[in-house]
Amino acid sequence: MKKTLIVAGAVVMLVASGCSSKPNAEELQQLESLKAEVASLEREISTKESEKSALNRSIADKSAQLNQCEQDTKVVQERLKGM
Amino acid sequence: MENQIMNVVRRMSLVALAALVMVTGVLAQEMTKDEWQKQMNEWTAKRDELRSKLNTLQAEVDQLKKTDAEKVAAIKKCNDNLLALVGATPESERAFAAMLDQIDSKVNELSRLSNQDLWARKGEIDDVQKMIDEARNNKLSLLPKYYDRLKEQQNRVDALRRSLESAGMQTYTVGTWARDRDCLWNIAKKPAVYDNAFMWPKIWQGNKDQISNPDIIKPGQKLKIPPKGELTQDEKAAARSYWQRKQAAGSAQ
Repeated sequence: MKKTLIVAGAVVMLVASGCSSKPNAEELQQLESLKAEVASLEREISTKESEKSALNRSIADKSAQLNQCEQDTKVVQERLKGM
Repeated sequence: MENQIMNVVRRMSLVALAALVMVTGVLAQEMTKDEWQKQMNEWTAKRDELRSKLNTLQAEVDQLKKTDAEKVAAIKKCNDNLLALVGATPESERAFAAMLDQIDSKVNELSRLSNQDLWARKGEIDDVQKMIDEARNNKLSLLPKYYDRLKEQQNRVDALRRSLESAGMQTYTVGTWARDRDCLWNIAKKPAVYDNAFMWPKIWQGNKDQISNPDIIKPGQKLKIPPKGELTQDEKAAARSYWQRKQAAGSAQ
């Protein structure tokens, strides 16, 4: 009886595992390509974010230069009036 | 005997069955189609999200590049207008900046001199002052960056003059010959002056503005007494020239 139960259980497991379908090699490759594309996109985003930060710094610097030039212009106009 | 063989076969069968069950269990841990599909869905969603983020970032970067270029153009326009305001061109501004560099260089050189050497080259302080005055007459000096720089240069020249004055620059009021026996030789010999009669050319050269002939000084004249030190090349040359003239005059008589 005991042996019969063990054999039956084993047969059920074998049948159950054999019946569930698995992805084929092409499908697994598809998943790997997708993961690689995501990694590449993450790198590109990181590069773009660095570029964006550099541009923001450059614009802030140029805004300060422009502001300084406008102030200088006002000062020179005042000094010219005083001449 | 037969029973024993049967028992061994049964046991072996059970062991084989157990091994088969274990292998099946391990194989069952591999990805199933459903799990693959689930992962595909997750990674696809992530990829789409990243693509969208990258597109947004690209648009932002393009806009920032445009803004940056606009700022460059605005700065150039502002600088051009500023130069036009003072009637200058980029070339004349460069020449002006070079002149200020030259003033800096000269002031630095003079600032490193000892008071004695500074006294000997005091004419160069006047030259620098002329350059500063000339720069001030240029409208470019109204630009804050040059205005402040010239102000600083003027302060340094003023400091040079002060250090020249405070470096033991005494004055001596010439007495009468009858009472004081004052001539450049005797004045230089006084302990309170140089305590060395041979230093008389120093007093002469330090007072060229009021002594043309070193044999003639007048009572009441206020002479500047340059700081003590060796005679400079100019002072030695002046003394030589004086003695040569004296010798020539003596020979003529």
